[in-house]
Amino acid sequence: MQKDKTPEDDFFGKLSMEDSQGDSQTPAAPARLKSNVYSALVNHMEESGPLLPVEATEATDGLCVFEKLIDLAPVSEGMKTFNACSICHARVLAERFEHPPIYWKNCPYVDFKGG
Amino acid sequence: MTLQEATETTGTDPRDRTLVQALLNKNRKAAAEFVSLYTDSVYGYVYQRLIPRTDMVDDIVQEVFLAAWDNLRKFEGRSSLKTWLLGIARHKVESYYRTRLKALNSLDEDEEVLTDTAEEPRFEAAIDKTRAMLRTRSVLEGLPETYRLLLLWRYWEKRSLKEMAESIGRSEKAVERLLARARQQFRRSWEHAER
Repeated sequence: MQKDKTPEDDFFGKLSMEDSQGDSQTPAAPARLKSNVYSALVNHMEESGPLLPVEATEATDGLCVFEKLIDLAPVSEGMKTFNACSICHARVLAERFEHPPIYWKNCPYVDFKGG
Repeated sequence: MTLQEATETTGTDPRDRTLVQALLNKNRKAAAEFVSLYTDSVYGYVYQRLIPRTDMVDDIVQEVFLAAWDNLRKFEGRSSLKTWLLGIARHKVESYYRTRLKALNSLDEDEEVLTDTAEEPRFEAAIDKTRAMLRTRSVLEGLPETYRLLLLWRYWEKRSLKEMAESIGRSEKAVERLLARARQQFRRSWEHAER
């Protein structure tokens, strides 16, 4: 038994347990928050060096229309690692609105809307 | 195996490690999967422990993911990625408690010391869990911030008096006195909410 246990500890222990079991009632994270977290995370990843080039990214998952353009265009290797989201209007909308009018295929910001 | 398949489940299985490896390779799609899969869990945890300061939740959730990236190489797959992330969330929440409690003026120890009564507050067996949870949240929200944070830290995060006292640079006795007052105020509000 803990030496600092009080007569009321059981009561609060029970309350906190009941409350924690109610996690399922906590609202899901807003899509706007997911968008902000994703943007911040990718920016943070870039701080320590370039992202995986788009063609290597496509091998594991689909590219959005803008990333596809970068992949196909005759641009430098540096451009292939460019974070297209940083200049995309979809990001700007998604970070500010819960239901932004964006529908690009393979756009993460669109996927976040799905919950 | 696609990234989607690799991240559909959690646990100490190779799929977590596949996602982690993709993240370490700076795969932007893996970053999207990471956020998509785990933001709800981290958000739920932080939200529940910061009530009613929901204005702080978004910042802390973001900090959790950035800290996760900074420490990703240390992830060894001993626990699931979700559990690991929630561990980081816990550190962030406790850091918030510590900072707030250190900053709050109401931590003075000159107030009258209330003694806990041995009488245990009634936790009605009949009350359904949802109502109990809503009442608990409502009572916590109405408490002064110092009391709310102390109760959450002690009972929701299950920290000992010693750990709490050391974290905020107070004596155990002082923290216990504050907790006694917090419990008493909680109990009054709880009983008031019952009427």
